[in-house]
Amino acid sequence: MKIRTFGLQFKEGLIGLWRNRVMSLASIGSVTAVLLVLGLSLVLIVNVNSIAEYVESSVEIKVFLIDELDSSQVETIGAKIKQLEGIKEITFESKEQALEKYKKQLGNNNNLLEGLEGENNPLPSSYIVKVEDPNTIGDTAGKISAFEGVEEVTYGKDVVDRLLKSTYMIRIVGSILIGILALISIFIISNTIKLTVAARRKEINIMKFVGATDGFIRLPFVIEGLVLGLIGAVLSSGMLVALYNYFYSIMGRNFGSFFILVSSSLAPFNQTMYNTSLVLLAVGVFIGIIGSAVSLRKFLNV
Amino acid sequence: MIILNGVTKKYPSGTIALNGINIEIHKGEFVFFVGPSGAGKSTLIKLLMREQVATSGTIMIDGIDIATLKRRQIPHLRRKLGVVFQDFRLLNNKTVFENVAFAMQIVESSKREIVRQVPRVLSLVGLGDKAGAYPAQLSGGEQQRVSLARAIVNNPPILIADEPTGNLDPDTAWEIMKLLKEINHRGTTVIMATHARDIVNYMRQRVVTLEKGRITRDQERGGYGLED
Ligand SMILES: Nc1ncnc2c1ncn2[C@@H]1O[C@H](COP(=O)(O)OP(=O)(O)OP(=O)(O)O)[C@@H](O)[C@H]1O
Ligand SMILES: [Mg+2]
Repeated sequence: MKIRTFGLQFKEGLIGLWRNRVMSLASIGSVTAVLLVLGLSLVLIVNVNSIAEYVESSVEIKVFLIDELDSSQVETIGAKIKQLEGIKEITFESKEQALEKYKKQLGNNNNLLEGLEGENNPLPSSYIVKVEDPNTIGDTAGKISAFEGVEEVTYGKDVVDRLLKSTYMIRIVGSILIGILALISIFIISNTIKLTVAARRKEINIMKFVGATDGFIRLPFVIEGLVLGLIGAVLSSGMLVALYNYFYSIMGRNFGSFFILVSSSLAPFNQTMYNTSLVLLAVGVFIGIIGSAVSLRKFLNV
Repeated sequence: MIILNGVTKKYPSGTIALNGINIEIHKGEFVFFVGPSGAGKSTLIKLLMREQVATSGTIMIDGIDIATLKRRQIPHLRRKLGVVFQDFRLLNNKTVFENVAFAMQIVESSKREIVRQVPRVLSLVGLGDKAGAYPAQLSGGEQQRVSLARAIVNNPPILIADEPTGNLDPDTAWEIMKLLKEINHRGTTVIMATHARDIVNYMRQRVVTLEKGRITRDQERGGYGLED
């Protein structure tokens, strides 16, 4: 197909959109809605994953030791932990250090802890263990808890599991919602294009008996669907960026430096928006083309 | 050039519109198809254009069995056929020039070719001064001439006309016939379905009579021959 022909067909497509502006607006609205939901789900999933990763990478195993150990027994436990596979780092925290840390955290209210030094210190000594691969953390923790002299083992796996479970829910609910909305969009787009097909019935009939190819006849309608999808994608991307910005500014205003700290665990803003917009563009175009294909399959035979 | 062999068309409704048609049409011929309403004339034309497919029998055009054409090859068949209908089928929102140019755009002619060819064809059909007019501003005869111009603008070897004078008064009808004759003189095969007894009798061309889907008469230099 020649460029000039394509230009003419492109113009026909735009004329079609303008001719059914009300339906075109409805189509754009529905595509925008699907893509916005899709975009929000994606951004949410990406961020929860990013937070989960952050938490996961910072998780450590706390190995609390029973009080009645002498220093050589404590060292033996440390040596046994070190011999386990995939241990990145191990530090010892004595009863006194634990109390110091606790005091610092409690700040000025530390009269609560008065009289708890020395003999009366209720805090256990512990090893803090970091592993190479967060996925092995459960296994490693299990092994350590079996060691003699170990009172209790804790780690942040629960948090990670809960986070990952929440992305699973977002995925399911999001997929269902997106599926339904996408079908609605395809339906509305195909009906919009059917109107153009109906308005151009006579022209299409003439094209056929003059010897136009199917591709030539279909092109304006495909362009029409494509443009609807594209406009929806641009609008939804814009809204998504605006919403995300708004979220950042609200969080920044209300939680200040804390949010700045936390946001380092969120997915990087620009890259997330860029990737999500690309996905929305692709899905928008896809929905548009499917919408026109649905209407053309039935209406352009002979 | 066109050979029909045992062609039968049965519509899904059960109507047998054509029943065992055998006919041969040579290059450069002028052939009338006549016969009462419902005889199958339009069906025959639809089969030639591959708008309908024969139920049985073969239709050869330029040595190709058109039943074997794939969907994407059908446009190439149609580019060999110029067609004119009783109801003109012009686009009302396009000028005379644009209506004719439309047929050239569809086969992807260059702008240069379009600008050169359209005025030529328009002057051939006597509408050289109406290029900028819209169909609604033209008489029926003029509109039919526009549709004739559109049918021949891509120089098809075959021109098919289904009752092209059906909506025209006798004088205007004669003008169209003169044009068809001229187009035929230039070497184009012309096939015309009609009820116009006077025209058929006057033209002294080959006349094929259809009745109830069968050929009942096929005469060189014939007349209408049927009582209406
Ligand atoms: N698409 C169709 N579906 C079913 N039956 C049809 C169809 N087209 C035509 N017919 C039937 O086939 C028969 C032949 O019709 P056709 O249009 O070929 O006749 P015709 O000779 O052109 O008549 P006329 O002189 O009135 O134009 C008629 O009985 C008609 O009702
Ligand atoms: Mg007819």
